[in-house]
Amino acid sequence: MTAPENHMLPMIRSEFRKIATVRSPWLLLAAGPLIVVAGITGLIESGGNVHDPALQGKAFAHVGLAAICTLIFGILAVAGEYRHATITDTYLSSPRRHRVVTAKLAVYGLTGAAAGLVSSAVAIAVTAAWWSAKGGVFHLSATGAWATLGGGVAANLAFAAIGVGIGALIRNPVAAIAAALAWIALVEGIAGQLVGAGLARWLPFYASESLDRASLTATTRLLPQWGGGLVLLGYAGAFAAAALVSTLRRDVT
Amino acid sequence: MEIEVRGLTKAFGQVTAVRDVSFTVPEGKVTGFLGPNGSGKTTTLRMVLGLVRPTAGQALIGGVPYDRLARPRRCVGALLEATGFHPGRRARDHLRVLAAAGGIPDGRVAEVLSQVQLTRDAGRRVREFSLGMRQRLGIAAALLGDPQVLLLDEPANGLDPAGAAWLRALLRTKASEGRTVLVASHVLSEIAQTVDHVVIVSAGQLRFAGPLSEIGDTNAALESAFLNLTATSR
Repeated sequence: MTAPENHMLPMIRSEFRKIATVRSPWLLLAAGPLIVVAGITGLIESGGNVHDPALQGKAFAHVGLAAICTLIFGILAVAGEYRHATITDTYLSSPRRHRVVTAKLAVYGLTGAAAGLVSSAVAIAVTAAWWSAKGGVFHLSATGAWATLGGGVAANLAFAAIGVGIGALIRNPVAAIAAALAWIALVEGIAGQLVGAGLARWLPFYASESLDRASLTATTRLLPQWGGGLVLLGYAGAFAAAALVSTLRRDVT
Repeated sequence: MEIEVRGLTKAFGQVTAVRDVSFTVPEGKVTGFLGPNGSGKTTTLRMVLGLVRPTAGQALIGGVPYDRLARPRRCVGALLEATGFHPGRRARDHLRVLAAAGGIPDGRVAEVLSQVQLTRDAGRRVREFSLGMRQRLGIAAALLGDPQVLLLDEPANGLDPAGAAWLRALLRTKASEGRTVLVASHVLSEIAQTVDHVVIVSAGQLRFAGPLSEIGDTNAALESAFLNLTATSR
């Protein structure tokens, strides 16, 4: 008898190799820090006052905005495999499909969090540079600075996982990305107005806003940061469960 | 490891693609899986590999369903027509991804690349590959786990005559080592030279399963038998 094998480890290693050996994930993940640079620069260029203590938090909140890149990155985890028909080989390697989905959630979530850390480092550097250029006083010990950055990293992780779920449900990558972006740009805003602020703050992007804007003054428009984190975790879990259920029985033809 | 197909049926909505098909694929032989286009060959192969869920019946490999194999890639090597490649991934990396997933040592990657004569092209991205080179890469993927069972759907697609001859020799070698080799094809002349055993399906139903010698081992005999067996259904 051989020792019991770890069935997840080969799938996790394979998923990391998939990401590392094509260009698109790197380009997508590099876009996150670029959004941070552009966003913080825009904040200053549009007349932001570096002597306003709240501005530093607004600058750091761009890390959470970069999660739009990890969302698309996650969507391509499953939908990209259907597009290139590599999903057949993936399921031949692991016919127990829940392992494939679980490995993708772990690998894409971790990589999304790593991208969030890079975005955070970039946010700190760019903010420090602008603050010193404009004669402001920059300090990382400012109230909520670390909480805002930490929330931003958590948002990058959660949206990568949500993306994996969306891509498993909508296997056409163009349709999946279009649906996700339409939700962000249009649907959630309209839905938020229809249901009112009390319920709107439970929607995923309102929740992520509360996650990465911890430094802002308390508002009833958003959940507290921990609440936003839990709500986003719930969405990630719900999408993961939907991804599992829809993946397990579907014919691959 | 035998492949055993028992009463396999698959309905896609109103269309029954495969109806109550049973046959055995023996060890140590090359078995041809023949049928016109749309006869249910690919659907049957996909059910054997756990990719399509049968409406009824089951398929066993060495006595267990594919999704219960402890190390599927090391037991079964499969080449399917719709198997894809990421166009931006290098050939070597494609195999390294599969090696990791199958728990196969990375050293096998160079071995199978040399076996299919792609060593020189291993660092090229698949989008630069011709159809024949993609086919070779797919065959390399099937061989990666040094499996006891080979399941190949139209493996000669895109191969030049030298490549087709190489493939026939490979299949004979694998069978002579006692492995189970199942080759689906609609090109009869390819099959007649290579197989010992045939399974013929038409319109989703089994028409014949047995040794090629029962049909006659010339190309002409196989062709007329094939046409007879598959015509009755239409």
